[in-house]
Amino acid sequence: MTDWLQISSNAVIVAFFLYCFSFIAYAVAVGGSRFANREPEAHRRRWGNIGLWLAAAGWAAHLVYFFARWAGAGHIPVSNLYEFLMALGIAMMLAFFVIRFAYRHPLLGAFALPLTIIIVAYASVFPSEVQPLVPALNSIWLRLHVTTAVLGEAFFAVGFTAALILILRVTDFSRTDKAGRRARFWAEFTLVVIVIVIGFLVAVFGFRAAGYHAEFRQETVTVDARGNVIEQESTVEYGLPPIFKPYNSETVSMDPFLGMTEPLFETPSWMNGVNAGRKWNTVVWSVIVGLLLYGLLRLIIRKPLARAIQPALDGIDPDDLDEISYRAIAIGFPLFTLGALVFAMIWAQIAWSRFWGWDPKEVWALITWLFYSAYLHLRLSRGWHGIRSAWLAVIGFLIVMFTLIGVNLLIAGLHSYAGVS
Amino acid sequence: MRRHKSVQYLILALMLLVGGYAVGRSFASSGDVLRPGDKPPSFRLADLQGEAHTLEEYAGNPLILNFWGTFCPPCREEMPALQQQYEAWKDEGLQVVGINLSEDRHRVENFIRRIGVSFPILLDTNRRTERAFGLREYPTTYFIDANGVIRQIVSGPLTIEEIEGRVKSLLESA
Amino acid sequence: MIRNTKCECGHQNPVGTVLCEACGKPLDEELAASDSVLEMRYDGMARRSQKPHPNPVDRVWNFFSSVRVAVWLIVITLAAAALGTVFPQESAFVNLTDPAAYYRENYGTIGAVYHALGLSRTFESWWFITLMVMIGASLVICSLDRVLPLYRALTRQQVRKHLQFITRQQVVYVGPIQGDAEAWTARFAEILSRKRYKVRTDGNALLAEKNRFSRWGPYVIHIGLIVFLLAVLMRGVIPGWYMDEYVGLDDGEIEQIPRTGYFVKSLGFRIDFYSDDELPEHLKGQLRVKQFTTKAVLYECVAYCDDATREPELKEVAAHDIRVNSPLSYRGLRLYQYDFAEAPRLISVRPTLVDKRTGQSYGPFELPMRHPPLTYSVGPFTLELRDSFPEFGLDENGEPVTLSREPNAPAFVFVIKGPGLPEEGVPYLYFPREADRQRFGQDRINGAAAEMFDIRVMSMEDVEFSTYTSYLNVRVDRGMPYVWTGAAITMIGLVMGIYWNHRRIWLRIDDGVLSLGAHTNKNRFGLRAEVAAALAKAGIEVDAKMLDNRRKES
Repeated sequence: MTDWLQISSNAVIVAFFLYCFSFIAYAVAVGGSRFANREPEAHRRRWGNIGLWLAAAGWAAHLVYFFARWAGAGHIPVSNLYEFLMALGIAMMLAFFVIRFAYRHPLLGAFALPLTIIIVAYASVFPSEVQPLVPALNSIWLRLHVTTAVLGEAFFAVGFTAALILILRVTDFSRTDKAGRRARFWAEFTLVVIVIVIGFLVAVFGFRAAGYHAEFRQETVTVDARGNVIEQESTVEYGLPPIFKPYNSETVSMDPFLGMTEPLFETPSWMNGVNAGRKWNTVVWSVIVGLLLYGLLRLIIRKPLARAIQPALDGIDPDDLDEISYRAIAIGFPLFTLGALVFAMIWAQIAWSRFWGWDPKEVWALITWLFYSAYLHLRLSRGWHGIRSAWLAVIGFLIVMFTLIGVNLLIAGLHSYAGVS
Repeated sequence: MRRHKSVQYLILALMLLVGGYAVGRSFASSGDVLRPGDKPPSFRLADLQGEAHTLEEYAGNPLILNFWGTFCPPCREEMPALQQQYEAWKDEGLQVVGINLSEDRHRVENFIRRIGVSFPILLDTNRRTERAFGLREYPTTYFIDANGVIRQIVSGPLTIEEIEGRVKSLLESA
Repeated sequence: MIRNTKCECGHQNPVGTVLCEACGKPLDEELAASDSVLEMRYDGMARRSQKPHPNPVDRVWNFFSSVRVAVWLIVITLAAAALGTVFPQESAFVNLTDPAAYYRENYGTIGAVYHALGLSRTFESWWFITLMVMIGASLVICSLDRVLPLYRALTRQQVRKHLQFITRQQVVYVGPIQGDAEAWTARFAEILSRKRYKVRTDGNALLAEKNRFSRWGPYVIHIGLIVFLLAVLMRGVIPGWYMDEYVGLDDGEIEQIPRTGYFVKSLGFRIDFYSDDELPEHLKGQLRVKQFTTKAVLYECVAYCDDATREPELKEVAAHDIRVNSPLSYRGLRLYQYDFAEAPRLISVRPTLVDKRTGQSYGPFELPMRHPPLTYSVGPFTLELRDSFPEFGLDENGEPVTLSREPNAPAFVFVIKGPGLPEEGVPYLYFPREADRQRFGQDRINGAAAEMFDIRVMSMEDVEFSTYTSYLNVRVDRGMPYVWTGAAITMIGLVMGIYWNHRRIWLRIDDGVLSLGAHTNKNRFGLRAEVAAALAKAGIEVDAKMLDNRRKES
């Protein structure tokens, strides 16, 4: 059992690096074509193929992770956030391959790969230990529910990728009117958000590698459903230097950081979710590191990121991107309906005696579904194509990510997995 | 074209009906708690002698229906007040019935004997009647008029004065 | 404004028609003058709701038939649902006595506002239900308004189309061909048939079509959703269709399921933990719950069910080990493992009566904690039960009382009668639990009787107790088959509408010039490739991308 788990965790590392190499190959394919001696088309195809093979090898390793962990843990690994995000990464690559071969678009990988890399890295933020299943999770319907839903969401992710390329491709940097400025701002803003996500990963893994640790004792006062006041004392551990300490807490221990030996601020009292202080502190760090990274990039390339990326996208046809984005979402929609709603309802009926209970996770799955159905209606019946549809795909993916992760971190409910950071 | 039109009207009317019902239901009180103006649910319960009684037997005269248990201090507290008022008004037609909250018979008998209660006591079983009335607190007392309509519902113990005022208005309206 | 809706081909079209029903020529003059790609929604048919003089009822109909309105409804519902997840809903609590206070105290002013606005009951609120009803109305009317004209358009297609109709499709090819026009058309028809197209020809004009059924996908989805919504509504309307009750059972206890003629008995509640072999390294030695099980037996009352003066007569109808994910199911009644509480309680004891004067002991005799019998004969003695207290305590006057109906600290008052005892017997207070016996001082209360008798349990084998109270959720939900039917229909509609696409190819040959147009509702790429491949077989080599009508403009 332990051997299987060892194989599994090694496979993740292999997969991660292969994905990174694949991304580099794709980046060379996109960015290097203008500097290559050969014909740009041949250069693109060559490096695109290298990227594809590396991605396929990475995916094979990722599958080894999945099945080895399945063998080692005795149940399909989709029961905590780590396993779930890994499964999402695998599904995203599958969706990428499907779309890649349907449309033979060489450069989709240049954007799909980094997204997968971010997801895999993000998964590694959460504790990766195998957890035994709690009784409610021990159901065939849960497995069907999660795997099908994840596959649907993966197609939404590919749709988002194509939409993002489309946005970067068609943003007009020569326009100076209000609409033009606004389009530029939002394109750049989307990239900044992505850099902040990367900043989050850099901050978490950086301080984790440095072994940073701080600890606080927090007193919380809650009132239960019957009106009894409950006072609780709990220990909150930080892996990042505390810019914000938990509300109503005192320091137990704290490693100094850049001469900082005491927390600078206290988390406001109205943030009172589970571990709100730590989450808020992490958000602040992500923004700081992300903006630093962004500033650094701007210093190096001396123009907005969107503008720097655009020339590399010259050869891509926007109509193709529009079609790819739409098709990916259309393929994902029935899968999502089946997995996230129908199978979820069947499981809920068996495990909790009601097929629908307006649990936050359920509601957000419904919101995701409603959003994409609005997307399809706008597209099919009201003729929203191109840039408008692309922005909808981007917002849709934000909703998907909130449903998958945000709900677990911000809103407690039946789906609050064990060991959430 | 005329046919289409009538189909159209029919569909709209159907939707108005179904939709109106669905929306209307959201206004309706949820749950099955009784309110003044309701008729209490019928019951058939045994008294301490083992004879069955139904709610219908008490129709025609004002009725105080009191749910109580020996395990509930305010219930024990208000028993003498109920007894006193029963004696004071029974000649005017007032009926008082105590429904015990599914306790063992000997427990109830001992308590009644000690307190000296003379109004009829009925024994609920398996909390069935209590559930049918949607009881939330003990004791709960229902003031029911001669027509069998609940006039007032009081949760918590009652004093002699509080009972008296309500009995008078029950008798006046009869 | 009444426009002339008669096409040059002689066909009389209904008002609101965009493309002539017969030949496909754009009817709008402005549209006819431009050369943009044609919008093929509903094949350019007039929707039912497009009428020249709408009356108020027509206006209502038109409102709900608009996709713009439908999208707004979806977006508003989505936003409302999101608001409903900001704080927990009231329905998430089983026992919320004062919701306003709960929200104020836990979430501060925002919480108080949230509750005051009714957002804490979002999903039961009249406005949310209204939104749902409006979505339902929109589903019905949008579908009816479009499906009939579309059906007419697709079943009465004319093969020969107006040239403008063909050359303004998404996928277009125009070029010269060699040889006889009709022969070429026939050959091309053959090629398309092999690609599973249904082909009709009219001289040198051709119409090829496949996967028309996928056009019905959206309407099938909408029917499924309506069935689903109606099923959900019906559950609350039809009496007996829906029930949601809870039953708490100690081991060995039997309870009536509220509002039914069924009784359920627990033969025991058990918690299973993972063994060390099943746990990963870092969790070995820890207690991790694997499963909760209530061994349950379901009884149906067959006689004296509503008779308070007699015990109901019960018949066993089902037995099942109720687990999480495995409910007991009997004729639409389902019992789910819902919760449990650690509540150690005696079920029954088998004590022995010891006559201290002789040293003789008699018994044991069975004493159940709930509904104990009134007399017990033990050896030469008779024990008469005079009183019993499920949870013994003393009131403010020092009188013995019971504090609850649950046997948490049971006490029994016996009168012992028998040889060598006074006629009226000897009263004796008995606490089955050793802890209560000490706490309340059994021997002190009994005084002289304690010198004569002792009632006590001799071994643990004579004690039956329950450690947990198991809570079962009892459900009746007769709407479920319809809910699942609705979901299944929706899924079928989604699959047929999205994973297949309707493809049509029109062509005509005028004076040696081939004009070909093709349209699909989804996946232009696939259609383009298919047309290019078919043309290649017919001897016309063309890059698939060059067939794209939009590309030609640039």
